[in-house]
Amino acid sequence: MKKIVIASVVGSIAFLNGANFNEEAEKDRKALIAYFEKKFADKKNAALYFPYTPKEELENNFRWGIKWEEFRLGSYAFNKTGRAQYEEMNEFPPYEDNIEAGKELYEKTKFKSGKSFKDCFPDPAIAGDYPKYIKGKGVVTLGGAINNCLVENGEKPWNMNKGKMADLQAYFAATSREKGKKINIVIDSKEAAEAYARGKKAYYSQRGYLKLSCATCHVQGAGQRVRNEYMSPLLGHVTHFPVYRLKWEALGTLERRVKGCNKDQGETPHKPGSQWMNELAYFMAYMSNGLPVDGPDIRK
Amino acid sequence: MKKIVLAAVAFGVTLGSANLLEEAVKLDVKKVCDVKTNGLEKVIGVAEKFNPEAIKLGVEFKRLGIRNREYIKYTKEAIKKKQKEAVIKYKEKGKEKSQTFPTDYAAWRACTFAIRALQQVKEAEETWRLAVPGDGFKF
Ligand code: HEC
Repeated sequence: MKKIVIASVVGSIAFLNGANFNEEAEKDRKALIAYFEKKFADKKNAALYFPYTPKEELENNFRWGIKWEEFRLGSYAFNKTGRAQYEEMNEFPPYEDNIEAGKELYEKTKFKSGKSFKDCFPDPAIAGDYPKYIKGKGVVTLGGAINNCLVENGEKPWNMNKGKMADLQAYFAATSREKGKKINIVIDSKEAAEAYARGKKAYYSQRGYLKLSCATCHVQGAGQRVRNEYMSPLLGHVTHFPVYRLKWEALGTLERRVKGCNKDQGETPHKPGSQWMNELAYFMAYMSNGLPVDGPDIRK
Repeated sequence: MKKIVLAAVAFGVTLGSANLLEEAVKLDVKKVCDVKTNGLEKVIGVAEKFNPEAIKLGVEFKRLGIRNREYIKYTKEAIKKKQKEAVIKYKEKGKEKSQTFPTDYAAWRACTFAIRALQQVKEAEETWRLAVPGDGFKF
């Protein structure tokens, strides 16, 4: 009898642990939301959070009282002039053709094996479900899953940054948005939790000769300016990719954007598809959990 | 027996790299990378010793499009040929490019970059949590 009781206690502890692999991540996510909502709550706190921003800029160009879901607009959530330009650009979205091209790729590509993308991804509304932790493979981003599908069917993997890869992801994102899908990142094993923790550490660690972490600019620095650009918050960073960037004059993936920022830190940038990049994206995506998928989108 | 040897080898490897990091942490960059007191060969030798570890840990420095491994490679060539200037070659978006620096400056840069990259890994260990909202970062 005693033995059975002990066994069941042990069993329930194991079960509890099993249900809580995302405990740290949930705590981080909620704290991040609380931080950004407080930072952008009203201009009374502005001097505290934006000590280097001229007063009239805070008075005239900032919107306040920003709530969780709005942060996916990046700096356009708080920057009034940027928002106006953004809305103008979105009147004729430059990514419509990419979505069409992506749909073609999804429906018409025939692999050497005779199969197609539909066999790998029966439901295209999956943009919010990646990155995923997959046993034996580690963290797999949407781009990684697309390339796994290609390789498993005897095809060459695509460039992770742009071109067909961005087009197919644009179709997945647009379909997800149409169906009202949300970012839905799962951490359901010890290994997944460890991958998350490594991604988080990479995000918050200063790197490169400039001694900057991603967080320097996108957590503590969000809302401040570098080179005349307002820095966007980490919260909501993954919701709207792939993104059409005016600077690229093309659509690019999340990996492409992160690689650019990693280079700007003064470090040999990590490759899209590398464990480092995948785990960083896993952490970033978890922070946006529950937000609507809203890609593709436009950025300067 | 074979197993023991293998284990010892594996152990030795991890020990070796941990040592490089620990060794780098203890160095005074200003002294070790000073070309006037140490000479060019020695300074570029320090860079060559530590940069592979930075590459391995994914923290190699890159500036103006040039990775530290390129600074090291072409600065060494310039030293060997006793040239006052080092022509550093590198690739940007698939295109071959180059920039020219005084050789002693390039050696100093390569040396400080290699060591600082490793020292920063250690510093980040201590500081990264201070930036996490709800953890070390109070708001
Ligand atoms: C020196 C500051 C700086 C650092 C450090 C930095 N970034 Fe950025 N990042 C920017 C700026 C500026 C932009 C463009 C404006 C903006 O934030 O949307 C940007 C844009 C982005 C975007 C696009 C946001 C969007 O909505 O399209 C992502 C994603 C991003 N950065 C991720 C990262 C990651 C991950 C790291 C660390 C590897 C990082 N950044 C490091 C300054 C920085």
